[in-house]
Amino acid sequence: MSEGIGHNVPRVDARSKVTGEAIFTGDLKLSGLLHGKVLRSPYPHALIRRINTDRAASLPGVVSVLTSTDLEDIDPYYGHSIKDRPLLAIDRVRFVGEPLAAVAAEDEVTAEQALSLIEVEYEDLPAATTLEEALSDDAPRLHETDTLRPGLFHGLGELNPDGNICYQHSIHRGDLAEAFKQAEIIVEQEYTFPAVYQYAMEPHTVIAAWEGKSVTVWASCQHPYLVRAELAELFDLPVASVRIIVPFLGGGFGSKSYTKMEPITVALARKARRPVRIANRVDEAMVTTRRHNMRCWMRTGALADGTLIARHVRLWMDTGAYADNGPRVVATAADAAPGPYRWKSFQVEAYCVYTNRPPSGSYRAFGATHLQWIGESQVDEIARQAGVDPVDIRIQNLLRPGEEVRPGGKALDADLVGDVQKIADALDWGSPKPPDTGRGLGVGLLAAGARPVSTAIVRMEIDGHATVLVSSTEMGQGVRTVMSQLASQELALPIEHIRVPGGDTWITPYDRSTGASRSTTLAGMAVHRAAREVRQQLLEIASQAFEVALEAIELRDGAAWRGDQSLSYSELIQFHFGFTGGELIGRGEVSPGGNKGSYAEGPVFWEVCVGGAEVRLDRDTGRLHITKLVSVADVGQAVNPDLVKAQEMGASMQGLGNALFEEMIFDEGQILNGTLLDYHIPTTEDMPDQFISRLVENEDGPGPYGIKGAGEGALAGVPAAIVNALADIGVQVTELPLTPERVWQALREAEAEHDDGGSPS
Amino acid sequence: MRVESADVYNSAQIQIRMIVNGQSMEATIEPRELLLDFLRDRLGLTGAKRSCDVQVCGTCTVLMDGRPVSACCTLVYEAQNRELLTIEGLADGDELHPLQQSFVEQSALQCGFCTPGMILTANSLLEEIPNPTRQQIQHYLKGNLCRCTGYWSVLEAVELAARRLQAEGQSEGSA
Amino acid sequence: MLRPFEIHEPGTVEEASVLLARFGIDAAIYAGGTELLLIMKEGLAHFPHLVNIKTIPGLDEIALSAEGDELQIGPLATHWDLERSPTVRKHAPLLAEVESQVANTRVRAVGTIGGNLCFAEPHSDLATLLLAWGATLELSSSEAQRVLPAADFTLGLFETARQPNEILTRIRLPLLSENTAGAYRKFSTHERPMATVAALLEVKDGIIEDVRLAVGSVGPLPIRASEAEALLRGQSIEGATFASAAELAASASDPMDDLHGSADYKRQLVRVLTAQALMEASGRAAGETNEG
Repeated sequence: MSEGIGHNVPRVDARSKVTGEAIFTGDLKLSGLLHGKVLRSPYPHALIRRINTDRAASLPGVVSVLTSTDLEDIDPYYGHSIKDRPLLAIDRVRFVGEPLAAVAAEDEVTAEQALSLIEVEYEDLPAATTLEEALSDDAPRLHETDTLRPGLFHGLGELNPDGNICYQHSIHRGDLAEAFKQAEIIVEQEYTFPAVYQYAMEPHTVIAAWEGKSVTVWASCQHPYLVRAELAELFDLPVASVRIIVPFLGGGFGSKSYTKMEPITVALARKARRPVRIANRVDEAMVTTRRHNMRCWMRTGALADGTLIARHVRLWMDTGAYADNGPRVVATAADAAPGPYRWKSFQVEAYCVYTNRPPSGSYRAFGATHLQWIGESQVDEIARQAGVDPVDIRIQNLLRPGEEVRPGGKALDADLVGDVQKIADALDWGSPKPPDTGRGLGVGLLAAGARPVSTAIVRMEIDGHATVLVSSTEMGQGVRTVMSQLASQELALPIEHIRVPGGDTWITPYDRSTGASRSTTLAGMAVHRAAREVRQQLLEIASQAFEVALEAIELRDGAAWRGDQSLSYSELIQFHFGFTGGELIGRGEVSPGGNKGSYAEGPVFWEVCVGGAEVRLDRDTGRLHITKLVSVADVGQAVNPDLVKAQEMGASMQGLGNALFEEMIFDEGQILNGTLLDYHIPTTEDMPDQFISRLVENEDGPGPYGIKGAGEGALAGVPAAIVNALADIGVQVTELPLTPERVWQALREAEAEHDDGGSPS
Repeated sequence: MRVESADVYNSAQIQIRMIVNGQSMEATIEPRELLLDFLRDRLGLTGAKRSCDVQVCGTCTVLMDGRPVSACCTLVYEAQNRELLTIEGLADGDELHPLQQSFVEQSALQCGFCTPGMILTANSLLEEIPNPTRQQIQHYLKGNLCRCTGYWSVLEAVELAARRLQAEGQSEGSA
Repeated sequence: MLRPFEIHEPGTVEEASVLLARFGIDAAIYAGGTELLLIMKEGLAHFPHLVNIKTIPGLDEIALSAEGDELQIGPLATHWDLERSPTVRKHAPLLAEVESQVANTRVRAVGTIGGNLCFAEPHSDLATLLLAWGATLELSSSEAQRVLPAADFTLGLFETARQPNEILTRIRLPLLSENTAGAYRKFSTHERPMATVAALLEVKDGIIEDVRLAVGSVGPLPIRASEAEALLRGQSIEGATFASAAELAASASDPMDDLHGSADYKRQLVRVLTAQALMEASGRAAGETNEG
């Protein structure tokens, strides 16, 4: 089938997206729709002494004003990993931008105006707005850690909270002290990673309509079923009474994972008894979620020949005022910290820290992006000291397929050595370099897949067309196209006869989430199985119709063939029901079975994070120009190679932004660069001269046809490659992003050191 | 005083005329109304999107007398006696504009949120420079951000459309 | 949507001036709106009265003076117009070049040169260029008219010499002599530039007769680097000490620490951009092409 797997089928959503017909949440209109606006805290930490909403409520056009007093009939706390967050601030605010009241009005201007009429009396509290402050002995406490409740989906084992640390996680193997004793080369350094904004171009948008004892929510969310569960628990409803509908998402990248603006919108609709829309502005989206800034200390030991033997890592991640997905980010960072090498011993101690800053959550390749550039720069430094080529030291030390990555976890399922060689080839590794030009590479692994729980239904209707019901969210990655191709492959049906509507928890069946590069592998497996059930039914009906054995039937182009005789699927379904109606239904599921379901036994697969870069340095300004970026997508089997490449390009470009200039700057917990005028993301003028993506298809994944996921790895691989390329020119940095000024400062320091070293003292 | 002779509008009402996607229309507007809200909420033309709100990202791009503008920072008042083109007006019925067609073929989009603005800006570019260099495309599209694609496919799509439009122009010229 | 305001449509500069005088701080001139609407949307300022000067005929004209010695630009000429104007491209190609680099395509399409100068946003490309160029600005009110050199117009951060009832009616750019060449350099890490440098060199028989050097975007307003200019004046173009001049410009630039960079780093940028602009201008002068 030319439209099944392995083919570059054009995106099934492309036409609607180039004509403006594609509907995003903010494009929907409902009759009686109210506009919701949120009052946010101007203080990083303060007690709320009094809120007076009288003037706001009496403004003509205002329908409802919501504060925490409206939530007294429910348990208003949520949080999928730690249930630490009130739907609206109760008694105290913990970050600049925290919602403490909301207004629903007939129009946006009235809603805005009403916000300005809400009187709030605050009492300033001492704030811990940095990791250092939060970890100090006399730090103000953000939460009573002894009463922290785990959330519905924490999957983290013990939280081990302590002071402002809400979660700690450690992994280790072997005798660390003994291994370091043998080390002949030791590299040790502290590093800093900045807070980064995901900037999905569509800010969070939610519409909620409360009807009797049920609620319908249109949400720009990645994980409708997890949002449903949290809303059902918050508002004490059966899960089936919460309906989540997900139109097209204007980008996700993790920023729309788990629950964000949905609870406030639902609470407002519940009070107003009319549908309400809340559409975040970009500055509000920035205080809704972000990437964790991090402090890290790392020590790596090796033998004189470059054999890596020991690594010790401590890392502290700033999860902001509420945990959000912080604990999972910290656990994944810990997984990524050792890097994919054959250690005698390693130890990682990872801490998730509350601060009086906006909450941090998921962002594409979290954990791996944080750690890989650090680990890989130490590997390169060891290579320099050992006099070994960076490619060779990796071939020498990289794990081979089947080897243990971390204790108790899944063995390596990728050919990292082959991947690294592909990067080296694409970079012309050994070739002479122009002046002030460096090359670097980075290799790592990302624990991918999240919980392997997905279900799907395939319906084949009376006209022989199929509808694939699956709750994976189309956020740009092309999941509707991929699911169409997987169904097309099994059903032997042209793709234009297959429809994949968006997620709707009343209609499309359970899928854990859309993230962690899991959809093609896991939801794809469910679709594959559901389509196979329909395929089997078609074969059985055809066997009856033709009165031959199943094996004599071939399914091709939407019809069953026996020799040169054929019956279309439509005819087969009519034959089966004896009527011009009826449909065939196939179901598919993926489940870890009866296992204990601990993440520790994961991941579903290891996603490779492999990148290469060639950079040119302008010594006068410190500006880096990226001449070449390379990524490797080690995907087992590509359903649609063009879509894989598109993911690689997008992830690489985000990696470039994370490496070179993206950084949220805070002062006393207040964001200073809260608009796109001051927060720069990559534009067409930041593109590298050349981008090369190599596809590796070893059919070694757990999905159908050996598929495994992709789309995140390059974001972690690229910063590591750029950092190492810069070090190749002689400039070592321990803090991202590599802004021209930071690089220029590093150059000056390097020159000063060089001058000192050369002086005849 | 001369001031009295100057037209003064209070915020209540202004009557304006304009052409939107080839259709002339009249509307009663307030001076403070932004073009983006007007298009999306009153005309139901939701192809232009709101994102950065500060004229950096380009998701709200529409063409006013052929020039790309940020509808989020333009008063509807400005549209008086002007011709507006939004993404909804680019195709010729069911037949996609060559730019739309090339964006489909090159998969020059992912989430699609920036796509209408990207295509309209590219349209304005190709009207002015039918055969742009890659650098010219990059410079012209600098103000249209895309977080998904990394831009390569976008540049390729614009180049493909440029080639097709030129070929079309030539065949029309020779006919 | 914004808070309510009225839009006034004067037919003459005089009417506009009367309106501005009458409403005082409640009024703002409305032209391209690219800066004004941003601050109004953000709620940083609210003006109950906008005086739309686009209804005044002729304020967007771009023409050569009758004497043919200067370019006269109406304040409502957009960046887009100036980038494309055949008159500008022929007589002041450096201006067209700078205009093509302002902000982004959409801002250039509606943003005006007058609005750019009057808003006095400290990262203005044009303020730096026009300072070096020695442009003069005509201001009119219902009571008087006056002409100010660009150097006396920008007074500080978002602050100009324009009185509330005055309207910038014309920007006059003397055409550069045949042996004058110019160059412009900027460095950006964000939407607005972090440092801008404009250099004009007048070279006669291999000697730098005159030099005008302006540095902007690093501090509250662009400045002339007079010491650097003095150093270069009279030097031979072959042996000109551009690096020393750049050093002097950097010392004179008095940058501010801010979100985008430290004063130290901005001084370095001024050093680098000044040397580059001077090199390029001298190259253009040597090529005997009039790039001004």
